Amino acid sequence: MSYLFAAYTIIWLLIASYVFVLGKRQKAAAKELSFMKEMLDD
Amino acid sequence: MDNKNSIFRFLIPSKGYNILFYLAIPIVIMALYLTFIWSPVERTMGEVQKIFYFHVGSAWNAFFAFFVVLVFSILYLVKRKRIYDIIAGVSAEIGVVFTAIVLATGPIWAHSAWNTWWTWEPRLTTTLILFFIYIAYIMIRNMEGEWQKKARLASVFGIIGFINVPIVFMAVRWWETNLHPVVLGDGNEQSGGGLEPSMLFTLLFTVATMTLVYFLFLRKGIYIEQLRLETSKLKAKWQEKEINREAS
Amino acid sequence: MRYFITPALLIALKDLYSEWRTRQVVVTMLIFSALVIVTFSFAFDPTRQAVEALIPGMIWVITVFAGILGLNRSFLSEQKQDQLHGMIVAPADPASIYLGKVIANYVFVFVVQAISIPLLLILFDFQVPGDYGWFLLILFLGTFGFICVGTLLSAVSIQSKSSEMLLPVLLFPLVTPIVIAAVEATRIVLAQDASISEAFSWMQLIVVYDLVFFVAGFLLFEYVLEV
Repeated sequence: MSYLFAAYTIIWLLIASYVFVLGKRQKAAAKELSFMKEMLDD
Repeated sequence: MDNKNSIFRFLIPSKGYNILFYLAIPIVIMALYLTFIWSPVERTMGEVQKIFYFHVGSAWNAFFAFFVVLVFSILYLVKRKRIYDIIAGVSAEIGVVFTAIVLATGPIWAHSAWNTWWTWEPRLTTTLILFFIYIAYIMIRNMEGEWQKKARLASVFGIIGFINVPIVFMAVRWWETNLHPVVLGDGNEQSGGGLEPSMLFTLLFTVATMTLVYFLFLRKGIYIEQLRLETSKLKAKWQEKEINREAS
Repeated sequence: MRYFITPALLIALKDLYSEWRTRQVVVTMLIFSALVIVTFSFAFDPTRQAVEALIPGMIWVITVFAGILGLNRSFLSEQKQDQLHGMIVAPADPASIYLGKVIANYVFVFVVQAISIPLLLILFDFQVPGDYGWFLLILFLGTFGFICVGTLLSAVSIQSKSSEMLLPVLLFPLVTPIVIAAVEATRIVLAQDASISEAFSWMQLIVVYDLVFFVAGFLLFEYVLEV
């Protein structure tokens, strides 16, 4: 039924977007960290 | 090179996380299989009833996440360790995501079952209030200032926010029974009573699956905060170096 | 005990006295509640019978919204002259600062209620039942719980730059149960066919709420006011 499909699509979208946001944050945080490490090694 | 202070230990996810992650994939697939294929189709509502499994799974874990916020808020106020504050903050964020899932799937269920997009049913309404409480909690954490102040104030709010939840539930339940006398047909929403064993199993499995997802998100969130923390420590060190360099 | 109550009363009297000199806050609250009443009069035609059902809700809407105005200012004045730090290092128990603030805030809201509620009842031509003792009790208990939570959260939000935006966001979710209970209890008590016993369960909820959040505020206030 379309209701079931809509509900699980929403669940999937919410989880997937949160995973995506977390992934982006991690990349940015790791990048900043390695940048700072480089700065300190000068 | 690989001493304890090496930053490289942050760039490699911990073994525990990897185990959890690879465990999660078959478990989630299993949960989906149980939900869609294995569990029986409900007599009166049909397939739509299956929304129930992940809806309740998310709801249960949202409450669990906020309970974790309560515990670590208290721990922080007593012990003042930064990791407690980090855990509380990450858990609140995950809780908000799960609460959003509950609030999104609830109306869909409600519309298919009772042909109304919203119902002031006690659990759904309490979840709505819960949503606002933890949005407010996150807003405190986004305040300006040093982390100790934010952690302290957020912890206070985390405590009173959670103790408010049962009171909200009671108030809404009494209020709602005045509006709509208890409908007996709400049978299959109540856990345990009136649930067929296979449905119960699917429900429990789904709740456990979402709990696993919660811990995955929690570990990842803590990891990100640790990265950020390390970065700010290095930044402080670098600033000191620059000041010393200028001074000499 | 004396060392506890006396500072509280002193703080309350200080707030009340400084307010008496300027009368700023209470006047603002009064004007605001008058505006709310007038707006409601336009929104819901007062001559219609059905409007009577709205009176309990309106009483508490006025209390909450005017109360927020007062709560905002309660710690704002402390911040201006950095008296907040003065309070922190003062030898008084933080809990008595909390108690003093609660008393002062309650008095402000009480004054506004004492003026605007009769005004509301008159404008809407509402017949109050003979024994309005229960109504006054519910008014007191409900407002007290609201002020307890509001004072604590006001101290939290004042430490942010956007304190006036933060306070409502923090406050509304937490006062939901007491607003529900107070409105329902008020409605039952003000109805002509007074079946007071129904209101008792609501009043129990209000009392539980008051106790829980008064104690919570008491215990947690010291953490809010740390340096």
